[in-house]
Amino acid sequence: MKASIEWQIATVKAVHPETHSVKTLTLKLPNWQRHRPGQHYDIRLTAEDGYQAQRSYSIASEPEREGEIDLTVERIESGEVSPYLHDVLIPGDRIEVRGPIGGYFVWEGSRPEPLLLIAGGSGVVPLMSMLRHRSVAGGKIQTRLLYSSRTFDDIIYFAELERLQGVKNGPKVYHTLTRTQPEGWKGYARRIDRQMLGEVAKPLGGSVQVFICGPTLLVESTADELVGLGIPAAQIRTERFGPSGPA
Amino acid sequence: MLSDTPLDVSSELMLDANAVAGLLQEVFGVEMTVVPAECAGCGNRAEIGTLLAFTRGPGIVLRCAACMQVVLRIVQTPDSVYIDARGAVYLRLRR
Repeated sequence: MKASIEWQIATVKAVHPETHSVKTLTLKLPNWQRHRPGQHYDIRLTAEDGYQAQRSYSIASEPEREGEIDLTVERIESGEVSPYLHDVLIPGDRIEVRGPIGGYFVWEGSRPEPLLLIAGGSGVVPLMSMLRHRSVAGGKIQTRLLYSSRTFDDIIYFAELERLQGVKNGPKVYHTLTRTQPEGWKGYARRIDRQMLGEVAKPLGGSVQVFICGPTLLVESTADELVGLGIPAAQIRTERFGPSGPA
Repeated sequence: MLSDTPLDVSSELMLDANAVAGLLQEVFGVEMTVVPAECAGCGNRAEIGTLLAFTRGPGIVLRCAACMQVVLRIVQTPDSVYIDARGAVYLRLRR
């Protein structure tokens, strides 16, 4: 379990917009280590006067991609780090990072239990690493993603999720849009509630492994409802994020 | 301590210990979120990753998810890290 996580200087290889407020940074790492889906990296910015700000960002890419990682970052208006990552950083820039970090909120595809992933907003990012890993590794375990976004335009990775869902043994993806829905929308159109969870979770059975990532209140209520539906708390792993991320 | 209640205003800003996993690993030298610990308040045994993290104060506070008692407090200064672990009966680190 001994694992050093020294700071290293990554080079920005690409910056790719996902939505109006979300971008994916592809970083090349001199000391790349294979991550476990669900892990994150810390990013540290240092101002000229020595002031430092540090945040954690989930890895979006699959561990099979060697030498580089994708971090998907939501721009938080009042944030100290994400506006810099969004507005200033360009390919070729260098940035201080350390990772991969975390062992609790990870899924490695070796377990036989069905998988239920539940995301609110950019909480989909670590779950995407799990889905990409599952896809690359040819995983067949029954898998469902329930993904809550405010509007259709806020959905991150929409096209890729459709593609993943379309292949044989692919995951089933359920979207819910809580604020506005496009005309003819066939998905859910409300906050995640017990009825919705019952519809999505029940067919996966009682041994289902659950990963929930999103804003604190969504995570809290969703985990409580799942326990209410009879899923043991020990099978539910959560990752909460606050309005501007961890300190 | 009027504000030190389970449902104080900062519960919306509550995170998981996973959010401070990097700092914990820096201090202890191992990945800590899967390390089991026992809450001194209620006896709940769970991995560090299940603890609730309050990171907006001058220090970091990790609370038991079962009873909300403080398990670990971490304060960083320019040259030191202080860890108050009075809320834990033990942390079990594998050799």
